[in-house]
Amino acid sequence: MAVDLSVRIGSLVLKNPVLTASGTFGYGTEYSEYFDPSLLGGIVTKTITLEPRAGNPMPRIAETPAGMLNSIGLANVGVEKYITEKLPLLEGLDTAVIANVAGNTAEEYGVLVRRLSGLRRVDAFEINISCPNVRKDGLAFGMDAEATRDVVRCVRSETDKTVIVKLTPNVTDIVAIARAAVEAGADALSLINTVLGMAVDIETRRPLLARVTGGLSGPAIKPIALARLYQVRQSLDVPLIGIGGIMTAGDALEFFFTGATAVEVGTLNFIDPLGSVSILSGLVRYCEGRGISSFSSIIGTLVLES
Amino acid sequence: MKTRIASCPIISQESITDRIQRLVLHCPEIAGAAKPGQFVHVRVHPSWDPLLRRPFSVHAADRKNGSIALLYRVIGKGTAFLRSLGNGASVNLMGPLGNGFRLDQSRSRALVMAGGLGSAPAFFLIDRLLEYGRPVIFMWGTRSAEEIFGLDRFRVAGVEIHLATDDGSLGRAGTVTGLLEAFLRESKSLKNLEGFVCGPEPMLAAVQALVAGKPLRVQACLEERMACGTGVCQGCAVRMQSGLYRMVCSDGPVFPIEEVDFGG
Repeated sequence: MAVDLSVRIGSLVLKNPVLTASGTFGYGTEYSEYFDPSLLGGIVTKTITLEPRAGNPMPRIAETPAGMLNSIGLANVGVEKYITEKLPLLEGLDTAVIANVAGNTAEEYGVLVRRLSGLRRVDAFEINISCPNVRKDGLAFGMDAEATRDVVRCVRSETDKTVIVKLTPNVTDIVAIARAAVEAGADALSLINTVLGMAVDIETRRPLLARVTGGLSGPAIKPIALARLYQVRQSLDVPLIGIGGIMTAGDALEFFFTGATAVEVGTLNFIDPLGSVSILSGLVRYCEGRGISSFSSIIGTLVLES
Repeated sequence: MKTRIASCPIISQESITDRIQRLVLHCPEIAGAAKPGQFVHVRVHPSWDPLLRRPFSVHAADRKNGSIALLYRVIGKGTAFLRSLGNGASVNLMGPLGNGFRLDQSRSRALVMAGGLGSAPAFFLIDRLLEYGRPVIFMWGTRSAEEIFGLDRFRVAGVEIHLATDDGSLGRAGTVTGLLEAFLRESKSLKNLEGFVCGPEPMLAAVQALVAGKPLRVQACLEERMACGTGVCQGCAVRMQSGLYRMVCSDGPVFPIEEVDFGG
């Protein structure tokens, strides 16, 4: 039995619901020697800024129980090199390319999206308003509803392509931020970005990261991600993309049942470059085993006590 | 050369000291492809805690038997679990990764320096240098005599060996950089000599300072915490003298020593 795996995010139709998360899959072809990225529903490329960024001082990563902290600092080649050197590598791939962008100001987000929107190989945008590693205080646009609204407005006016806004969990009321993003024109939301975290070496009394705090990812944050997705799902009717500690098809199913239309696989790529395609095959097996012909029919089927 | 992800059976595992293990694995493709200075990324534990793979330098590669040897220090939960695995158990490896030492057609003497577990890549390097028929001088510093091992075959092959231990229990008391300092003082000429160094960053920094301005080309093999091991996560950056960051995993782990900014 063939399973129809396709899902719709705004005007973007994905052939299957498994994407790779920004910052964990490079510019899309780095893992090509392990598998064909065309197998995936889509690739979210590494966050791009207007100017190239070298990234933060070392150490940038630390391991924590079932998780990792990172403080990479959005190291990237900048939008011009992204267009001339990175996007052409994705020509011919049969998968959606979602360009992830971040700016220093709301206007800069608009400039980035304007620069990229006309390019055929960019199928959609993910707006990173939630990286905890850029400002020293770990703050981000996505921690404030008004700032979120400003960014999304600037982006929305520059493109008709699907705009996905990536939310941070490091807020008191994620629904307020989510609502601001949708009201300003977001087609979909992806959540969560990393959880602000920290670890200390008890021998040296030094933080394990040079920037002291960083973003926690991996299995440790999956329950947080699910709860955030659930909160947003209860309040808003837009497509949601689940992110956070997805390591198995079972993990992904938890997000789909809770209401995610697609998932992004992140940290797993570092441990098993084939992890995202393993999850995809697991989802296919799940559907086949239960006679489910349309994957989208399982979305949001969480059973709650009435 | 394609990188492999493979589940590799353990051929043998032995304790060198109470903390240092030597692990031999059957993985013909990696054994055939590996070059000195390259590493394999080891899934030390099958669960998600510990989460990340650990990069281990290839310590030996036997193309005929299709095996590689790794050397590791037992530090935490992951390496303790790895030590508990017996023959027949399998370990998931990715590799070979990174760029090895550049070994050209030079016939010059090779000066190989290793600090602590820098012996992991250094032994493999010496094996290959000897295969190429190059004269080798090996300087090795460890904490104490019990961490010195496996030198017989190098002695038989005519390698000139200089040892140092922190506690003075074998060789010169002090570090391997002390050996280098004495060597540089006593050498009339550094012509026809090429340096290779593997070890922790403070040692590499000391070697960099000692050879600065001298006509001695040195390649350094860096150690760094890594997540992906393939250049994707940008976690294992090292600052270069140029001010740019390079990735230890994918741009290195071997760099010309003068290009690295050990202060950054």
